[in-house]
Amino acid sequence: MAALVEMKQITKVYPNGVVANKGVDFSVEQGEIHALVGENGAGKSTLMKILYGLEAPTHGEIWLRGRRVEIPNPHRAIELGIGMVHQNFMLVPSFTIAENIVLGSEPRKGRFIDRAQAIAVTEELSKTYGLQVDPTARIEATPVGMRQRVEILKTLYRGADLLILDEPTAVLTPQETDELFMAIRTLVNQGKTVIFITHKLVEVKEISDRVTVMRHGEVTGRVATRDVTEADIARMMVGRAVFLQIDKPPVQRGRVVAEVRNLGYVAETGRPVLRNVNFSVHAGEILGVAGVEGNGQTELVEVMTGLRPATTGEILVDGKPVQRQSPRRIRLSGVAHIPEDRLTNGVALDATIAENLVVDRYNRPPFTQRGVLSPQVIRKHAETLMQQFDIRAAGPDALMRSLSGGNMQKVIVAREFSAEPVLLIAAQPTRGVDIGATEFVHTQLVTKRNEGKAVLLVSADLAEVMSLADRIAVMYKGEIVAILDNGPELTEEEIGLYMLGVRRQEVVTKAA
Amino acid sequence: MNMKGMTKFVEPVRIIAVVLIALAIGFVITALVSKEPVQAYTALLTGPLPRLSFENGFEIKNINRFGNWLEESTTLILLGLAVSIVFRARQFSLGAEGQMLLGALMTAVIALKLSLPFPAHMLLALAAAMIIGFLWGLIPGLLKAYLSVDEIVSTLMLNVIALQLFDLLLFNWLRDPAAGFVGTVPFPTSAVLPLLIPGTRVSFMTILMLIAVVVVWFLMARTPFGFELKMLGANRKFAEYGGINTKRVIALSMAVSGILAGLAGAHLSMGLLKRLTINLSPGLGFEGIVVALLARNDPRWVLLAGLFYGYLRTGAQIMERSSDVTREVVLIIQAIIILLITAERLFPFVQQWVQLRRSREEVVVEAG
Ligand SMILES: Nc1ncnc2c1ncn2[C@@H]1O[C@H](COP(=O)(O)OP(=O)(O)OP(=O)(O)O)[C@@H](O)[C@H]1O
Ligand SMILES: [Mg+2]
Repeated sequence: MAALVEMKQITKVYPNGVVANKGVDFSVEQGEIHALVGENGAGKSTLMKILYGLEAPTHGEIWLRGRRVEIPNPHRAIELGIGMVHQNFMLVPSFTIAENIVLGSEPRKGRFIDRAQAIAVTEELSKTYGLQVDPTARIEATPVGMRQRVEILKTLYRGADLLILDEPTAVLTPQETDELFMAIRTLVNQGKTVIFITHKLVEVKEISDRVTVMRHGEVTGRVATRDVTEADIARMMVGRAVFLQIDKPPVQRGRVVAEVRNLGYVAETGRPVLRNVNFSVHAGEILGVAGVEGNGQTELVEVMTGLRPATTGEILVDGKPVQRQSPRRIRLSGVAHIPEDRLTNGVALDATIAENLVVDRYNRPPFTQRGVLSPQVIRKHAETLMQQFDIRAAGPDALMRSLSGGNMQKVIVAREFSAEPVLLIAAQPTRGVDIGATEFVHTQLVTKRNEGKAVLLVSADLAEVMSLADRIAVMYKGEIVAILDNGPELTEEEIGLYMLGVRRQEVVTKAA
Repeated sequence: MNMKGMTKFVEPVRIIAVVLIALAIGFVITALVSKEPVQAYTALLTGPLPRLSFENGFEIKNINRFGNWLEESTTLILLGLAVSIVFRARQFSLGAEGQMLLGALMTAVIALKLSLPFPAHMLLALAAAMIIGFLWGLIPGLLKAYLSVDEIVSTLMLNVIALQLFDLLLFNWLRDPAAGFVGTVPFPTSAVLPLLIPGTRVSFMTILMLIAVVVVWFLMARTPFGFELKMLGANRKFAEYGGINTKRVIALSMAVSGILAGLAGAHLSMGLLKRLTINLSPGLGFEGIVVALLARNDPRWVLLAGLFYGYLRTGAQIMERSSDVTREVVLIIQAIIILLITAERLFPFVQQWVQLRRSREEVVVEAG
């Protein structure tokens, strides 16, 4: 069978000298679901951007349906039936979903966009492929899961036969991931071909037919999925055996480090988002927060870190109230924060790695002494952390923008862990991070716990929470409906019942 | 491979290329409107330079033109520094004009209404200009930081108010009724900036300006405040998350910027005119934006950009006086430069193209 796409000897050198792809051969067959995996910075996105015409290869050829093609820009890729959904979405926030989908080739009525037609087209597409969206909702008001579907529909609208999905599940809840997989199967049944980038090996096993593994810009493996185990793929990716399950000594709970009492938060819209939240985090434990995304976890973290003001209630860190204080005061009380939305809060893309690493400490010695900032010290500090946390980039002066997604996350993790906090709040800390780095972050979280630090871990990945947390608080509609001891007898199903609001513990709301 | 050296190198080359293209277009336009374009354009390009003459022994001629260049540049650099501070923080304050006017106004008040001995009088007048600039910048800064009032609107409004205040005080209080024009009496020498180059109006302010360049560079590159400015400009949410008090930084960025604009105003009154007149120099405040854009908000480049732009403006005046071409031509050249440099879309593209070619060559080298 002739391959649908064949990329031959692709080499890509970025202007800053990074060699992202080195003589890569990559092929995809008609009608398959092809997983592309590899560590952060392995060059997966780059290879796909080349296929989609976003980056020009320095070397190499692309063959499509047996013919050599040039793809100088995405416009040409779309003509050839190639569509891509990016790791970071590219939608217009103030437009409606229907408008976003037709944007670029709008149905017209005279000189104007035919809105009704756009909505009809959207509904039609949505039905055909089983991807549910609300055509008239504005993007800014829709959850990530739906944005994802919008991106996919947009490429389908433009007539894509080959869909490239760059880490589509990184931002999805387990339920949304299941829905996405169903949609992908529908697509393939209708004759489409899908390239699927992910860091989650479970997903590779579940959905793909074949896997290509990349490492340091080269292809290190090409196998049929059914012939390998997750551990095999992991080994191909990292070059060594990876511990997918983490070892944890029994919990040694110390004093209460953080205490949240009757916390309430009402959004600007008047909607109560957090209601009467009570819990405490002890030294030496990881408290996991589980819940379907959008049940107040984001707000809980932002209120605790000073990014939003609490409406009612108290937050104590080491006995001192910190509610409604500035992020700096809260950080000075010993709280570090790995934010959920790293592109918005966690990094400045147009600043250097070195600068990103000191945003919380630039004004203290040794970075600032007698009022004078020392770029050398800031650089040295970055070099140390880059080595310690294995951040792969051209150097401390590289712009954040040039880093791969996983390496950006490592920069954040490096900064927050090195802040030596008493309470570490980690929101979705391994989202979009490769298995090597995930293992690293998990080990680090457990190390902090073993050192006697308090860790609050908020994650949409239930498996992550269950493998790391000592206790699990479940959020539902802005409330904590249960705080469960994590142990072998606790099952995913049981947590699920709380997550969906079917069950609740009565004691929780009173005290913890 | 020296990649970093390369990127450092590309930026200046890019800017110089832009300037050359703009000058070439300028010449084409001159050729279209002038009967003797070469002569006219030579006046523009070499006018501000002094000439050495050996006719009656050694002599430097046209020193005043050279002086004009430095005077003009001093003001422009101060304004460019002012604008680059706010632009660095991504605050689009357009208030330099009003801050400059009030700076000049305050110097007149101090110069004419107080009598003090020399350095004290001058220094007090300078301080007054800086303080009023600071305050006039603080207002839109506070409005933006705490009430989210758009700074473009508020600074333009404050410019209008500043102009009205200026006229009001000048007409009703400071004006010299005996003069044949609307202006004050000359400032007492105790409140005039000491002269630096005889035969010109190049004064102590040019030294202050050089100090200001160093200070602003230091502020941006070597102080926590400079770091805060940059982070605020790069991503406000990130700055907040990191613990930076962004409201304070927004307000301060505009206020500190005002200090420099105030100084520019003091230069006009205490250095160049040595009095206050109506229509001090309409629109000059906005020229700082051009300088800051040319310099990409880097104080070291502001110095060069200000000298360049001052040269162009002085040359234009000379061309206007000594040929049949009007000053409009230079305004066109100026507009072209702004367009080319701000054409973010066009130029990164060229830059990429250059680098792409380089990386191609490299791979070939590596392979071979
Ligand atoms: N625009 C760019 N300019 C310079 N270097 C870049 C650019 N984009 C990516 N890189 C570098 O190229 C390498 C490959 O990046 P790429 O984004 O392809 O990785 P990836 O495999 O998609 O990683 P991730 O899983 O983290 O998304 C990285 O080292 C990255 O820093
Ligand atoms: Mg990627």
